[in-house]
Amino acid sequence: MTTPTPERDASTGRPRLLRSLRSAILLDERGDVELQREARGASLEWGGVYGQLARLTGPWRISLDGGGASSDLTGSRTASRVTGDRYESWHRIGRIEVHQEVAPLLETPGAVRSLRLSVADGDPIPVEVTSAFEPFLLPVLVEGIRPLTFRVETRPREIRVRQRAFGLSFRSSVAPSHLLLNLGSWLGGRYRGPVREVASTHDVLVSPDAETRLVLSIVGGLERDLDDSDDSFERTLPDPAVEAAESERREAAWLASTPVVRFPSAPDLERAYAYARAGLRRLYADPGDDLTGLVAGYPWYSSLWCRDIAWMLPAVLWLGDFDRAARSMASVLRFQARAELGLLGGELGELPMQLSPGPIFLYGTSDTTLYYPELALRFVRHSGDVATAGAWLPAIERAIAWGELRTDEETGLLRNGGEASEMATATEALARIQYGIDAPDTTIWDSTDRRDHAIDVQVLWYQSLQAAAELLGDGPGSPAPDPRLALANRVAASVRSLYAWPQESYLYDSIRAGVPVARIRPNALRAVSAGLVDPEAGPSIVRRAARDDLTTPWGVRTLSSRDPGYSPLAYHDGQVWTIATAWAADAALAVGERSLGVDLLRRIAARYVAEDGEANECYRGDRPEPFNSCFLLGFSVAPFLAVLFERLWGLSLDARRCWLGVRPRFPSEWSSASIDGLRVGPGRVSVDWTPNGIDVSWSGPGPLDVTGPSDSVRVAPDGRGRLAAT
Amino acid sequence: MPNRGLGAWLSLVHQAVSLEVRYGRHALGALADIAETVEESVYEAGSLARTERGLAFALANPPLRAGAFTAVRLALNGIPVPSDSLGLRPGAGRPWTLASSVSLASPFEFHPGRRTEIRVEPMPGAIAGTVRVRLELVSKAIPPLVWLEFHDALREVPGP
Repeated sequence: MTTPTPERDASTGRPRLLRSLRSAILLDERGDVELQREARGASLEWGGVYGQLARLTGPWRISLDGGGASSDLTGSRTASRVTGDRYESWHRIGRIEVHQEVAPLLETPGAVRSLRLSVADGDPIPVEVTSAFEPFLLPVLVEGIRPLTFRVETRPREIRVRQRAFGLSFRSSVAPSHLLLNLGSWLGGRYRGPVREVASTHDVLVSPDAETRLVLSIVGGLERDLDDSDDSFERTLPDPAVEAAESERREAAWLASTPVVRFPSAPDLERAYAYARAGLRRLYADPGDDLTGLVAGYPWYSSLWCRDIAWMLPAVLWLGDFDRAARSMASVLRFQARAELGLLGGELGELPMQLSPGPIFLYGTSDTTLYYPELALRFVRHSGDVATAGAWLPAIERAIAWGELRTDEETGLLRNGGEASEMATATEALARIQYGIDAPDTTIWDSTDRRDHAIDVQVLWYQSLQAAAELLGDGPGSPAPDPRLALANRVAASVRSLYAWPQESYLYDSIRAGVPVARIRPNALRAVSAGLVDPEAGPSIVRRAARDDLTTPWGVRTLSSRDPGYSPLAYHDGQVWTIATAWAADAALAVGERSLGVDLLRRIAARYVAEDGEANECYRGDRPEPFNSCFLLGFSVAPFLAVLFERLWGLSLDARRCWLGVRPRFPSEWSSASIDGLRVGPGRVSVDWTPNGIDVSWSGPGPLDVTGPSDSVRVAPDGRGRLAAT
Repeated sequence: MPNRGLGAWLSLVHQAVSLEVRYGRHALGALADIAETVEESVYEAGSLARTERGLAFALANPPLRAGAFTAVRLALNGIPVPSDSLGLRPGAGRPWTLASSVSLASPFEFHPGRRTEIRVEPMPGAIAGTVRVRLELVSKAIPPLVWLEFHDALREVPGP
């Protein structure tokens, strides 16, 4: 074999994501493209090739028969490894040695597999290689559906499979000698009907003189994007190693553009930063149809969920990727409902819940719309790019108008809930078969009912109004008070007066029909982070949340274990979510509980290490075991990153006036920390902290004003400045 | 057509047109494709049939949510079927599971693309003609009830 095998086989059967901006492959390390993964309490098969956010195939398996021996790849694996976005495995079947490489394609949505076959000596061996895949051809919008009917067609260079608007193309470097459809021999041509499996056999001769190579690819997504005349596969056989090397080069270039963060006093957090940053990058997606964004998670949230994008963009901005943030924002805002769209559950001004090429877009959440005014402001503050954000202002205005229609006149509070039933009513007359999930509410915890005024939704509403006032208002010199600011102040006053829960030193979770909902959830901590509680109340709320009914050694539950509705298995009524742990860390650091805040961040870091860089969505409430959990979720990496920058480092910025604030909240025993290459508008800043002072260096075109804990300094271009540390 | 129906129809047409205008010429087709795929991929149309002792039908996919379910309920024409009369199995030839034995400790699983047969025996009362069938499922992992409802004519072809 030309490629050395790894010294040891590290295969564990763990989930592996190989991805590019257009493609993904989900597999475990057992040797084939297949992945059994617990989901919704059952072991389901998620392996396959994904392109343009559609699941193109289920498992794609390969077997070999030759020289008196036969085996599938799983049964013959001797070693395997994952390097970046390339999976390699080594197999032995009788005298035949096989080196397999699998990688996603970079420019075309799909995957390529390469098999290099060799024998050490003896006579040449005829080998029959069989490829078999299960077509799926549906976006992962609906987690439980595999279409029933497909069209299969043989063409001169490919097998084409179609399901309505979606299609895939299977090609091979060695023409098939035999085709099989649904386990039966097939002469080719055209077929329409149920398809369980599409298989092909490829005859190759393996001799000691030179290795024999077989390349297979599956590409697809929207059928209209499949190019009938494309012969690039035959002209330049895709090579997984080449694709992966280019992917690695792009990855390295992106990493080099992001800040380098060092915590010598907390190497676990430094390592976690690297894990989380890499995890976030792995969710980047440019699926086509002019869409840009970040996938919410893998395996079953592999589409653009606009709420999830909203939680990821603050971290994207801190990492300095303004272009990704701008294009993601534009993608979401493009699908803002510009009229009532009852069919899709959309109200005027509402932003979509999900996006996928097609375009497919669905509405119907209480909160997604509310994130985007503040995100627009964040974008301007990081990038200083007022012109780009200017194009979003009408959408921001419509988003605020959408919220105002849901606002209680007396309190200013925003009403959440009822979206799903509105959509069901709108579509009732249209469908022959009705489906439903009795979820009357759609906050971030969308499987539980938190009507009518969930506290975190009020925080979002407050932040939206404040951001809109800054973006759309006449500025501080205006003679008339901004009505949005006035409403924001009413919301703040209502949160302070209506949600205080003195018996628990906490905040109520919601208010329904005027009655407080007395449930302890981490969502209340968002009000602390936003400064919506009295200064003396903040620390006691944070400490209350840290008690063991809500906080576990592996993170923060979605509901107190003392609550009658608690279940350790319930998605939003007891499971531990990493995003909730990040909220708790954020609130703790915001009110000066530094040790607690850092301890919570370390709990997240420990999960990244335990999961070797993956970041599970959620865990059982009674033990640190993923349950019903995507193995990589944006919620589980991006908020952690944002807390590191905003709370632990205490960074704030406004590139419009070339200003940076630095108020670190490091534990007293820390001796140093640094951050290099943080983007502020057109320049980059580096900050070195010790207990003796803060050194700032700046590379921007004009001077940078920096405010520290107790003093300020103006740093000239390519200059340095120093601040007091306390 | 009553005025109210005409208003709803016009509203739908307006929404459809505005989708095409605002979001591109493929938007309506793509959305309709998804809706139709979901609609035709769960209940196997025409599978509702009388058996020797009751009735049976089949699902080709889970209704909206896959995974393990800790409770399964069925109603025929609005009348609940006793849980010990309701059986499920993951494909022909597999053993039947009674809904009465489905629990947190012993959930019933629905997998994408896996056919599930559902039978009611004995038949709860006189049922003939078009039947309204409502299936309710309680997920092990995500609490809100998942349901499926359809109308279909009961085929009068006794099973073997």
